[in-house]
Amino acid sequence: MNDDQLEKLAQRLGARAAERLDVEATAQAVIERLRAERAAGERIGLWLPRQWLRIAAALVIVVGGGAVALRIMGSSHQSSASAPADLDGLSTDQLKQVLEGVGESGGEAVVSVQDVSLDDLNTVELRALLESLEG
Amino acid sequence: MPPAEPVAAVPSDAALIAAWKGGDEQAAAELVRRHARALARFLGASGSGASGDADVDDLVQETFIRAFRALGRFRGQCRFRTWLMTIGGNVLKDAYRKARRTRVVPLAEELRDTEGDPHEHAVAGEVEARLAAGLERLPRMQREVFLLRAQQGLEYEEIAGALGTTPGAARVHFHHAVKRLKEQLA
Repeated sequence: MNDDQLEKLAQRLGARAAERLDVEATAQAVIERLRAERAAGERIGLWLPRQWLRIAAALVIVVGGGAVALRIMGSSHQSSASAPADLDGLSTDQLKQVLEGVGESGGEAVVSVQDVSLDDLNTVELRALLESLEG
Repeated sequence: MPPAEPVAAVPSDAALIAAWKGGDEQAAAELVRRHARALARFLGASGSGASGDADVDDLVQETFIRAFRALGRFRGQCRFRTWLMTIGGNVLKDAYRKARRTRVVPLAEELRDTEGDPHEHAVAGEVEARLAAGLERLPRMQREVFLLRAQQGLEYEEIAGALGTTPGAARVHFHHAVKRLKEQLA
């Protein structure tokens, strides 16, 4: 068999399959399937934005909540750290008022008379105590 | 003398592809009508008999569906029809795999054909069947190059563009295919 005969034979291959093919029915079937795929694609297209909205809302809650939590924690740290700085800004009179206020509110509570005996006081403290009792 | 009616221009494949991308279903249908028979011939010769119960109609349909899905990747590296046949080759390969799993033994095409002289069919069909069997045994690249060249009459440049190879390599594949087929038909 030479090359030409082989090519002619190859050209005949599949000829009957091609003749039998119902081209119009194939075209319609292809169109139907493509239409169905497009419709399915559009359904996914409608579904996706809703899902994305849900994801975005969840992200806002997580990120927003985190930011609020960080701010609260940050402010509590800041208030304790900035206390000495605030005292620096006070005048002598203002500092005295603060100390008096602290003495009034917590001084007695911190060291009550029952908790401290005379044996615990040194000479200077005993003298100061006597002077205060004398008036 | 009445003025001649203007001849309606036949839209090119590229125009039909663009129209389909724009949502025109009739453009897709026209592409199917235009190329379905050539594709069926290619698939029928590529060994659709070995693909089990998937007949050529189904393979043609599946090929077009995959092609329309993948149209975004078609860059005009070859003609639409040639590209379609390379997709058909993939469809056929999948059908082979499926057939091997289901182990369906198909009827030979000449035995299914009930029209014409049975003896003539048997003689003509015998040589074709041997060629078809020989083609099935070829490596895929050799088989596709052979059919695109011998059956579809394409140039090596066109074949190379479709199969992602060089014209020289396509030529070598063709000659190997011819040599092996001749050996099997001798």
